[in-house]
Amino acid sequence: MSRATRHGDVLWSLLVGGMAILVLLVVLVIGWMLWTQSADARAKIGVSFFLPMADASWNPAKDVYQAWPFIYGTLITSVVAIILAVPISLGISVFLAELCPERLRLPFNWMIEMLAAIPSVVYGLWGIFVFLPQVVVPLGDFLASLSGLPSFAGTLFTGPISLDGTSRLAAGLVLTIMIIPTITAISRDVLLAIPDSQREASMGLGATRWETIWQVLLPYGLSGILGAIILGLGRALGETMAVTMVMGNSNEGTGSLLKPGYTMASLLALQFKEAVSQLHTDAMIELGLTLFVITLILNLFARFLVWQVARRTPQEVRT
Amino acid sequence: MSKLLRSISFLFVAASLLLAACGTTSGSAPAASGNSDTTLPSGSVTLTGQGSSFQNPAQQQWISDYESVDPSVTISYNPTGSGAGKKSMVDNTNDFAGSDAVLTDQEMAAGQDLQLYPIMAGATVITYNLPELSSSDPALILDGQTLVDIYNAKVTMWNDPEITKLNPDIADKLPANQISVVHRADGSGTTEIFTNALTSFSSDWTSGAGSTVEWPVDKAGNGFGGNGNQGVTAKVQNTPDSLGYVEYAYAVQNKLPFAKMVNKDGKTVDPTIDSVKAAMSSGKFTPQLTATIVNEPGADSWPIAGYTYIILHTSSMTDCVKAQKLVEYVHWIVTDPTAIKDATDLDYAPLPDNVQQQVVEKLGEVTCNGQPVMK
Repeated sequence: MSRATRHGDVLWSLLVGGMAILVLLVVLVIGWMLWTQSADARAKIGVSFFLPMADASWNPAKDVYQAWPFIYGTLITSVVAIILAVPISLGISVFLAELCPERLRLPFNWMIEMLAAIPSVVYGLWGIFVFLPQVVVPLGDFLASLSGLPSFAGTLFTGPISLDGTSRLAAGLVLTIMIIPTITAISRDVLLAIPDSQREASMGLGATRWETIWQVLLPYGLSGILGAIILGLGRALGETMAVTMVMGNSNEGTGSLLKPGYTMASLLALQFKEAVSQLHTDAMIELGLTLFVITLILNLFARFLVWQVARRTPQEVRT
Repeated sequence: MSKLLRSISFLFVAASLLLAACGTTSGSAPAASGNSDTTLPSGSVTLTGQGSSFQNPAQQQWISDYESVDPSVTISYNPTGSGAGKKSMVDNTNDFAGSDAVLTDQEMAAGQDLQLYPIMAGATVITYNLPELSSSDPALILDGQTLVDIYNAKVTMWNDPEITKLNPDIADKLPANQISVVHRADGSGTTEIFTNALTSFSSDWTSGAGSTVEWPVDKAGNGFGGNGNQGVTAKVQNTPDSLGYVEYAYAVQNKLPFAKMVNKDGKTVDPTIDSVKAAMSSGKFTPQLTATIVNEPGADSWPIAGYTYIILHTSSMTDCVKAQKLVEYVHWIVTDPTAIKDATDLDYAPLPDNVQQQVVEKLGEVTCNGQPVMK
C-alpha cells in the first residue's frame, strides 16, 4: 500500500516537475531563437542599434536601423504608467482591503477584475474617441503652457500636443489605466493575506489606522506589492495594440511626452508582416531580443528587490 | 569480379527502376494528362497562394467566381503581406503569390525561375480634413513637389504659398495652421507606390522608396503613423487640418474627400480608374515584366499608381496538371470580362490591352517538365 503511494508520488512529482521545466525550456528556446536569428543584424549594425541619438534613423528603404526612438518610447511610456499607476493602485487596494465597508467590497472587486478583462483594442478605441479628446488634449495643452520649467522637464513637455491628442503622454495614460487593475488586484490579495494579529498588535500599541497601514501593513506586504508592480510593468512594456492606436507611431526626434512616438512592441507588430529585406527582418528580431532582455533585466532586478526586502524584514514580524 | 560487377549493375538497375516508379507515383503524370481536357473530379486540384493584402478583395471575388468556371480547381489565397508572399515563392512553399513589391535581384537569384505578372493596378490618393472648407468648395489641388515638401516638413502650414498658388479658388480659406501629416505605419504596397511617386517627383525626397520608409516629417514632430488604410483614415478624420495618403479603392468605398493632382504634363487630374489606366498605357516593362507607373506622361495620367503582381515559378513546376490550372487561372484573371468586371467593381484599374497582351505572352512561356503549359 505504502509502496504504491510512493510510486504515485514519484510519477506525480516527475509530471509536475516536467511541466515546470517546460516553462524554462520555452523561455530558453525563445531567447536562443532571438539570439541566433539576429546574429546577422548584430554583426552588420553594431552598437549604433542601441545608441541614444536624437536623429536615430530607422529606414528599411535604405537598410538603416537605429532603434533608440523605440527603446525610448517603450521606456518612457512604461515609466509614466508606473509612476501614475502605483500610488493609485495602492490607494485602491488599501481601501479595498482595510477600509471598505463589507457590502461595497464585492462590487468594487468586480469592477477591478472587469477592468483587467477588457481587451486592449477596446482601450485603444475608447482612447481614440473619448479619452484623448476629453482628457489628454486639455492636459497636454496645460502641460505645454507651463513655462520656466527646468530644462529636462521643459524638454518633456514641449508642445503643442496634436489636435487629437495622439502622443507619448496618451500612451502612458492609457497604459496607466490598463495596469491599475493588475497592480490593484494583487496588492489587495497581499494585504488581505496579512494575519490580523499584525493589525491587532499595532492597534494595541496605540497606533492609528493610518499608522498601522503605513508602518505595519505596507512594509509587511512589500515584497508581494513589488511583485504586483513588476507584473504591471511587464504588461506596460509589452502592450501593443492600445499603444499603437494612441501613440502616433512616429519616429519623432525631440522625445517630448506631448509628441507622437513609437514603442518596440508596436513597431514589431506593424512592420514585421511586410518586412521585405532580410536585414529588416533580422533587425526586428534584434529589437525583439532587446525587448526580451529589458523585460528579463527588470524581472531580475525585481527579484533582487524582493529578496532584499525579505532579508531586511525581521523574522518576528513575519510570523 | 564479374559476379560483383553484375550484382552492382543489378542493384543500379533496381534502384533506378524504383526511382522511376516513385517519380510517377508522387508527381502526377507528365505532359500527356497535363494538356488533355479530360474532366477532373471537382475540387481535385488545389492551388494555394498568399501575399499582398492589397489584391486580396479581388482575389477572394475571383476565387468564388472561378468555382463555376472550372469546378475541378480549389483555390485559396491568404493575405499575409507582399513580403511573406515573395518569401513563400523563393522558398517554394506555395503555388503562387501576390505582391505589390517587385522581386529584388537576390530574390530573383534565390528563386531561380520566378516571374512576375502584373494583373491590375491601384492608385494612392491624398485624403484631407479641412473643416475650414465647405462641401461646395472645390477639391484641394496638389502637385508632386508640394507633396514632397509636405512629407519633408518643408511646407508645414496650410497657407504656405506653395499650396495657395495651386488653389486660387480656396486660397483665402486655407488656414494659418500646421499640417498634421499622416502616413502608414505598417509595411504596405500603398506606401511603396506613394514613395515611388515622391522619389520620382523630386530629388528633394531622399528617404527612399519601399513598403516602409522613414518620414522626415516624423522627425519634425508633426508626422503620425496609422495602422492600415483605416488607421490613416481615422487619424485624418479625428485631426482637423490633417492630410494623409490612402489606397484609392478604400477612399472611394468610404467616400473620403481626396485631392486632385497636377500630373507630369501639368494637367490637373482626378483619381479614377480611367486616369490610372492612362498611366499604364505606355506599357513599358522590364524583362521581368515589372514597371513603376508613377509620374507618367500623358494629359490624363494619375501620377501615383502602381501595379500589383502575381508571382509564379516558370519552369520548375513538376505537377503539370497543377501548372496548367494555375496558368489558366492567371490567364482568366487578366483577360476574362467577368474577372475584369470584378476588379473594376472593387475600384482597381484593369490592364489596358497592350499590357494584357504582354502578360498573356509571358504566361505562354511557362513550362512544365520542358513542355509548354499553355496550348
